[in-house]
Amino acid sequence: MRLHTLVLKDISRRKTKLGLAVLSVVVAAAAIVAVVTTFSAATEGLYEESNQFGANIIVRPEVTNIPLVEGSTSIGSLSTGENYIEESEIPKIHTIQNNSNLAVVAPRLYGVAKLGDSNVVVMGVDPEKEKTLKPWWKVQGRWMAANTSENSEKPEVMVGSDIAGPLGLKEGTPITLSQGNISVEAQVAGVIESTGGNEDGYVILPLAASQYLLSKEGKVSSLEVRALCNDCPVEEISRQIEEVFPGLEARSMSQIVETEMAVVEHTESSAMAVSIITLLVSTLTVASTMLASVNEKLKEIGIMRAVGASDRQVVSMLLFEGAIIGIIGGGIGFAIGTAASAIAAPMLVSVSPPTMWEILPGVAGICIVTGMIASIIPAKRALGVDPAEVLRSV
Amino acid sequence: MSDYPENSETSSNPENLSGSLIENPVGNLIQVKDATKKYRLGHNEVEVLHGINLEISEGEFVSIMGQSGSGKTTLMNIIGMLDRPTDGSILIKDIDITKKSQKELVDFRRRTVGFVFQQFHLIPSLTAYENVALPLVFAGDKDDGAVKGALERVGLAHRMNHKPVELSGGEQQRVAIARAVVMKPKILLADEPTGALDANTGSMIISLLKSLAGEMTVIMVTHNRELAEHSDRIVYLKDGNVAE
Repeated sequence: MRLHTLVLKDISRRKTKLGLAVLSVVVAAAAIVAVVTTFSAATEGLYEESNQFGANIIVRPEVTNIPLVEGSTSIGSLSTGENYIEESEIPKIHTIQNNSNLAVVAPRLYGVAKLGDSNVVVMGVDPEKEKTLKPWWKVQGRWMAANTSENSEKPEVMVGSDIAGPLGLKEGTPITLSQGNISVEAQVAGVIESTGGNEDGYVILPLAASQYLLSKEGKVSSLEVRALCNDCPVEEISRQIEEVFPGLEARSMSQIVETEMAVVEHTESSAMAVSIITLLVSTLTVASTMLASVNEKLKEIGIMRAVGASDRQVVSMLLFEGAIIGIIGGGIGFAIGTAASAIAAPMLVSVSPPTMWEILPGVAGICIVTGMIASIIPAKRALGVDPAEVLRSV
Repeated sequence: MSDYPENSETSSNPENLSGSLIENPVGNLIQVKDATKKYRLGHNEVEVLHGINLEISEGEFVSIMGQSGSGKTTLMNIIGMLDRPTDGSILIKDIDITKKSQKELVDFRRRTVGFVFQQFHLIPSLTAYENVALPLVFAGDKDDGAVKGALERVGLAHRMNHKPVELSGGEQQRVAIARAVVMKPKILLADEPTGALDANTGSMIISLLKSLAGEMTVIMVTHNRELAEHSDRIVYLKDGNVAE
């Protein structure tokens, strides 16, 4: 028989009374696990969502807006600066320090052209890179082919859903885009199902064709850059791009994600604060239950001290009892918290969180420490037991 | 039983002890010298023992008698190191235990003194075997048959797996005696050991204690003169003084 055997037998004898202490640890552990699991899943979901944005850095010419004022009245603003990027300059982007994070660099050229009697926004793209950047686009028909020498006379285009219907465009429809004296004969390869984004109203055609149509050979309007990582330094990459391209600005789209993250983090902080308060209440409940337990066991503690238990052994037994309460409560709390998160998270944050086994040791550790801290006051009480006094009074 | 003080880590080398060695030509095991004990009750101070002097030899069976409040249990607790005298000294085998630190005292006590109480004071969640094993557990000693031997000594080896609630009063007291002797102490202190038992069972317990005397010094506190007469010597306490 060992000291811990004594404690386990004692716990087994008083399991109903110690159940309250275990229950309070269960509540605290379940709250912590539910909060961590739910909000970790929400954060992960946001990262995945941010990846769905495709690009997370947009590079475009820096434009300076000069406000025009007449007396005290504003009459608009004047934009100055080069509005296009030289296509030949694009490879320089791969000279930045974090070039290994650059998964896709997709050029874009925007302009307005005539399609029949309508003015439409055309967007010239590199079809292969665009396909990598926008994998979630659903195309009725097929993706347009890259602009090759074979189809340069009659390139393929894709059209957004907002203009496909009104203009009667579908796969295989031949169209003529024109601007000024220049016209381009093309064929619709597919219609992009509505994404809710700007592309719903675009005619998307190969970059070379768009440059020809818009008389912007060798120029692009912007670069959409996908830095491929969850936690890579997007802001730093943007800064490096701006260093390489003086006169261009590289803006991180992470601000959007950051705003959403701020909401998630704020909610998580509030929920975690509640969990920590629950943990503190739990500590007090465990301490209170154990103190009551020690008061009930004064005679037994007195007997143990009379038959040779040292102060250290008495304290060790109570700390071990606290640790046992903590680990049982932590284990049950982990299971309940995980189950609660699996039920609540889909409703609260629209994600189905996986079981986070990796936090189990941490939760168990916190609960064990909670139980042991809660044992300190009862241990002090136990050390104050005078065996002569206790054994005389019973 | 001749292993004192070799079986005590603390007492194995008297020079390491904080207690001082005092000359003891007669070879008494216990020497109580001018022991007083005062308690504070509210604003009042009550002196329970008034400078008691007492010597008890090794292997002696001594009964301490006296009226309620005469200081019998207090004297026993002081000899058993559960309590300290306010003044005076207590020498066990020439070692002044009043000079020992609390930590030293715990180790010295667990290997030197066994206690038997009127109410048995067994741990209800433990079996007879486990109750007897408690002193070994706290001392960190291995059970090399000592527990079974102690239970056999009190005739309860066949009941070793029973919990206290499953044992009669007499059996519980015999388990308590087995627990008190399992460490083979030099001193066995019994406070009213028959107080909760009927006359026949009480006689049986006294016989058991008497059989242990010789191997160890037995000091029994009792109100019962008939039982006390089984001992080698009776010490009377009256108002905190020895009236032998």
